[in-house]
Amino acid sequence: MSVFVKETESIAQSVQGFSEETVRAHSAARNEPEWMLEFRLNAWRQFEQMPWPQPTDESWRRTRLTGFDLNHFKPLAVATGQVEKGELSKFLQDELNEMDSAASMVFEDSGLRNRILNTNLDEHGVIFTDLQRAVLEYPELVRKYFMTEAVKPDLNKFTALHAALWDTGAFVYVPAKARVTLPLQVILNQCTPGVGGYHHTLVVTEEGAEVTVVDDLLGAKDGLQASVVELILGAGSVVRYMNLQDFEHSAWNFLTGRAVMSRDADLRWIQVSWGSRLTKAFLDVDLMGPGGHAELLGIYFPTGEQHIDHQTLQLHRAPHCFSDLLFNGALKDRSRSVYMGVIKVFPGAQKTDAYQRNGNLILDPTARADSIPGLEIQADDVRCTHGATVAQVEEEYVFYLMARGLSRPQAERMIVQGFFQAVLDRVPVESVVHKLESVIERKIGG
Amino acid sequence: MSVLEIRNLHAAVEDREILKGVNLTLRTGEIHALMGPNGSGKSTLAYVIAGHPHYEVTEGDILLDGESILDLEPDERCKKGIFLAFQYPVAVPGVSVANFLRTAVSNVRGYTSRPVDAEGRSGVIGSNLMPMREFRKELNEKMKEFNVDPSFARRYLNDGFSGGEKKRTEVLQMAMLQPKFAILDESDSGLDIDALRVVADGINKLATPDRGFLLITHYQRILNYVKPHYVSIFYDGRIVMTGGPEVAHMLEEKGYSWVEREFGEAVTA
Ligand SMILES: Nc1ncnc2c1ncn2[C@@H]1O[C@H](COP(=O)(O)OP(=O)(O)OP(=O)(O)O)[C@@H](O)[C@H]1O
Ligand SMILES: [Mg+2]
Repeated sequence: MSVFVKETESIAQSVQGFSEETVRAHSAARNEPEWMLEFRLNAWRQFEQMPWPQPTDESWRRTRLTGFDLNHFKPLAVATGQVEKGELSKFLQDELNEMDSAASMVFEDSGLRNRILNTNLDEHGVIFTDLQRAVLEYPELVRKYFMTEAVKPDLNKFTALHAALWDTGAFVYVPAKARVTLPLQVILNQCTPGVGGYHHTLVVTEEGAEVTVVDDLLGAKDGLQASVVELILGAGSVVRYMNLQDFEHSAWNFLTGRAVMSRDADLRWIQVSWGSRLTKAFLDVDLMGPGGHAELLGIYFPTGEQHIDHQTLQLHRAPHCFSDLLFNGALKDRSRSVYMGVIKVFPGAQKTDAYQRNGNLILDPTARADSIPGLEIQADDVRCTHGATVAQVEEEYVFYLMARGLSRPQAERMIVQGFFQAVLDRVPVESVVHKLESVIERKIGG
Repeated sequence: MSVLEIRNLHAAVEDREILKGVNLTLRTGEIHALMGPNGSGKSTLAYVIAGHPHYEVTEGDILLDGESILDLEPDERCKKGIFLAFQYPVAVPGVSVANFLRTAVSNVRGYTSRPVDAEGRSGVIGSNLMPMREFRKELNEKMKEFNVDPSFARRYLNDGFSGGEKKRTEVLQMAMLQPKFAILDESDSGLDIDALRVVADGINKLATPDRGFLLITHYQRILNYVKPHYVSIFYDGRIVMTGGPEVAHMLEEKGYSWVEREFGEAVTA
């Protein structure tokens, strides 16, 4: 491992900027097989050919990249090698201690720092490893699933960049019938300021498997993070996935995530967007087989000048599927949020049951929320509802609570907490709920 | 003994005068029933006493033991012992009964204004609450006593509650907050016979000599269970008649049209 480190350092110093050489050097430093280098180089070429998002693109009309310049960042951070848990910084240890997990991995900058197995995952054939290692140890699985099915490199400019330069991330593979009851915890701390990071999450479940995965994303001061989440659910498998983004408020954050679901698969995806100066997140659930059940739940709470944009797709390709989306956000100061979502029901996807709701609570008149829900329905026997609200704190609620002795700040705090409760109630890991509650508390307060 | 005194109270909403000179004195130990037709301003009176910001007091005063409370915020009035049971309690999404009540009780009993918590640890003023176990124990006892299902502690305030459940939860909150003066705005309406008895029993349990009630109602029915000392008839923004329990019977017999014939003139004059 330490050999890798030295090499990466020297390469990072010798190669400047985003270039094919950087891609090659990055791959070489990781001793990657030829196929992965080819994969990266292909993606790099695609990246170079694709235009940057334009304000005229529907997806980017309300989220401008003004002030964003790739050349402001160092393309990659240096990996610093693995350490014992006790040598991690205090707050990372706290993060690990707070959760009762089956296993955990901590990444800092571009490499794995620490991995702990609290339960014997191997016994059931469960794989929980960093992707860098998975490429070497499970090449057939990685080749089969990595950016081939859920998120392809050419999906957008940032997925292409990601595919060329991906660095950290977990590979989770749960074989048929295996059940991991405690969560698998992944923490990324992008600690070096001003660098690019490309975190990847690849979760594959076989028939009837069950797993819970938590991604905790931190740091990225003055940096860039272009992450990809791929959840590939086998028939009747159950996946609980939490993406908890709490980057520095100077980070540019681009996330593309997609869940591909086979027959009777059951997904609950919790998307939390607390940090970053700007977030553009594309989140799709793709119901490929009949009987699928997908819940996509999101919370966001921009303050200051933060800009948070979620764009979702609920793709109903097969009949008898259920999907329920709920995104709730509160906004303070001069922050902005955008929510765009489409429920798409393909021909033949009869008996589709799909919901989409986005609620926004405006806490300052200078904040602004745009919400654009949408339906595209090509089947006739379906039930779909969607709705969006943008509102201020209800004065009648405040009066009721004050009449019972709560001060105005206490009443407002409680109402805002309550507004998020519909999502928090559905977060399946208790320590995550507590953490989210305390962030909400902090955001209301300061 | 405490006194809540309403003197020549005029109040308007959106420039329309609703209260047109209300005079009423309520002492601890008294139950005063207030009856009057729809739209006469009973709830407005209740809201103005509780300090709803939507209503503007244009004349008169409300005194608690001789001191005006008009400049006080609703929470300050509550802390002084004024409680309003709403005619239509709002549902507050995501705010659980227990969570909210713990903060309310902590404020009213002064926990939050202490610089140290129950274990003697110092903390930020306003962040100290009544100890969880103590609170839970008391809430459970009160829920039993006032016939509220224990599951309601975790439910969201009035969210999806039936009419009767809302009214019972209002009484439960009153029991937890132990006010000096309780204004019950139609706590009896929309209740079936059994629920009415539960609410009436609750009021009777709380009707101790150190507490006064203003019982706003349309029906003689509840007065069979809760015996008022006084009954006033409210009409077009003021009290037009006050007497003993016989007034309620007379009203039941003669109806509001009689009130209108009797007092309609005087009001428009
Ligand atoms: N917030 C408000 N905005 C506008 N008008 C109001 C408001 N509150 C009360 N009013 C008006 O004031 C009048 C008195 O209403 P109030 O609710 O006090 O009557 P009430 O005696 O309680 O009637 P009920 O027996 O139906 O409960 C009504 O005409 C009502 O429309
Ligand atoms: Mg009324």
